[in-house]
Amino acid sequence: MSRAKLERLGLKLPLFITSTVGSFPKPDYLLEARAKFARKEITQKDLEALERRATEFWIQQQEEIGLDVLVDGEQYRGDMVAYFAEILPGFDRGGLVRSYGNRYYFKPIIVGEVKWSRPITVNWWKFAQTLTSKPVKGMLTGPYTIMDWSFNDYYPDRKAACFALAMVIRKEVEALVEAGAKIIQIDEPALSVRPEELGFAREAMHMITDNIPAYFVTHICYGAFEFIYPQMLDLPVDNFDLEMSNSGLDLIGLFEKDPFTKDLSFGVLDVHSHAVEAPGVVKDRIEKALQVLRPETLWVDPDCGLKTRTVEEAQGKLRAMMEAVREVRQSVGG
Amino acid sequence: MELHLANHSSYPRIGASREEQRLRRAYTQRERGEISGETFNQIQDSVVAEIIQEQAAAGCELLTDGQIRWYDPISHLTGKLAQVEINGLLRYFDTNFYFRQPVLKGKVNRKESLVVEEFRYALQVSPRPIKPILTGPYTLAVSFIRQAPEYGELSTLIMDLSEVLAQDVGALAAAGAQVIQVEEPAILRHPRDLPLLHKALVPLSRAKGSAQLSLYTYFGDATPIYEGLQELPVQILGFDFTYAPTLPDKIVALGSPKSLGLGLIDGRNTRMETAEEVLPILDKVLPHVHGESVYLNPSCGLEYLPREKAVAKLTLMKKFKDAFLHRGKR
Repeated sequence: MSRAKLERLGLKLPLFITSTVGSFPKPDYLLEARAKFARKEITQKDLEALERRATEFWIQQQEEIGLDVLVDGEQYRGDMVAYFAEILPGFDRGGLVRSYGNRYYFKPIIVGEVKWSRPITVNWWKFAQTLTSKPVKGMLTGPYTIMDWSFNDYYPDRKAACFALAMVIRKEVEALVEAGAKIIQIDEPALSVRPEELGFAREAMHMITDNIPAYFVTHICYGAFEFIYPQMLDLPVDNFDLEMSNSGLDLIGLFEKDPFTKDLSFGVLDVHSHAVEAPGVVKDRIEKALQVLRPETLWVDPDCGLKTRTVEEAQGKLRAMMEAVREVRQSVGG
Repeated sequence: MELHLANHSSYPRIGASREEQRLRRAYTQRERGEISGETFNQIQDSVVAEIIQEQAAAGCELLTDGQIRWYDPISHLTGKLAQVEINGLLRYFDTNFYFRQPVLKGKVNRKESLVVEEFRYALQVSPRPIKPILTGPYTLAVSFIRQAPEYGELSTLIMDLSEVLAQDVGALAAAGAQVIQVEEPAILRHPRDLPLLHKALVPLSRAKGSAQLSLYTYFGDATPIYEGLQELPVQILGFDFTYAPTLPDKIVALGSPKSLGLGLIDGRNTRMETAEEVLPILDKVLPHVHGESVYLNPSCGLEYLPREKAVAKLTLMKKFKDAFLHRGKR
């Protein structure tokens, strides 16, 4: 059904559509430039020029590796929530909070009404799409995750904050579709942490995707899926992009019990491991997925964003993935 | 019954200023081999002393060392045990904080004290009593990847961890701890295991000497198991009220033979509570507490907040206590 939707949108894609979750590692020159920008040693314009150079690099890499649905690589973003909070009116930057070990991040604070005042990601999406004839996904962080990973001084409760953010993300989705995006990914990695809130998270997703002519993917990772599956299948999206390999493919057990009813982007690369998977390992993972999923519903991608890997590791992992997909396509005649 | 102001457990280890970020820099410098372990420990000690003074200045009466030396609530303790390896990162309950998951390879064994030395140092630099914190045997046990044949049954591991922790409880009491806090957030996810927790707390209770043992739960609603928690062999129960809107009614209905820790100040959000929100709950609950003390404290460790917000929350607690007492005298 979702493949028919892709075709209605004018997208003719092969079996086992290959893509990535969104972020790629930043080349050294960009990391240095970001540090210099933070120290006010270079201008925004200088930084943007290098972000564009890095985006061009990653589009070219994805094409060369042979992926089907591309991403802009998020070379212009730091944290997936802070990036939106820095642009949206209603947020304050907040203070430093520890995430683990010696890692800290600025956790944003909602201090007023959150509003969409201008496109946030559209220019980057347009730029990336001009570099390739393959479809580029629009990449947004979802309202539930932005709410959960921010402090809230303004809205009366989590649900109200989530709904206000959903209205904002809806506007950004409309702007992306207006610009020509046909596949849009709404990242909701926080979705599984409070199963009791799945109901309003689903309502928020309806506010974003209802009556929008696009194919929607949502990415969820590193959570307690056993508490939200199969209820999560009611989320109004076409495709769930799930981390599978880091958790030893144990979600397959859930799918054996309650069949997966939508398209699935099946994470075949462990992004927390430096080791580059052998194509045979990836092929084995795809074959395991095919025990519970129909080939036409299966997309293949990494578990999560590759930004924590080195450039070489990310390239190596994606090449291994493509090699495995080519073998599987041959064996099923796709 | 007396109303005291207590910190919960953790405290932000860095702040906004360069000086307040010295521990972050020291971690990096130590990893690069630019400073010695001794210099690193001195910096860590100075931060512990600093945040103890900060809590006292904010009006807090029962302080903690802020768990400044802890990588996380699980691996800091389990990493000190024999037969344990520390594995990758895992989300800590419903937070955006991650702990390193322990892997159990054999029989659990205590090689060294877990937090006693940390407690001694904190006590030495503190103007007020220090409450040492231990993650409890149940929460530790369910956090493990169990690869040791001895621990096919979760209950066996819980009891072995209980024996290990009891040794620290005894040593903490001997070192001068008046209140020892055991944290069991995981029991709220698995309430049917309350009998296991009850059994596991017995060795700790036996070891506590003249100290009071407190059992704190958080990141969940304790209301459904309130009666069961009241049966546990501890003197103080601490609750996270941000998840438990009907808990005050339950306390009113059933009373509390034990002292209580009231987590009415949200340790997970920057919004400052108002007197109109907090004082009515104190009014409602306090007459029904029959234990000797009530502690007003944050709902969880304050490390989930930026430093300046953590200080502001403690200062707010003092304001609420003053308003409560002043009103009571009128």
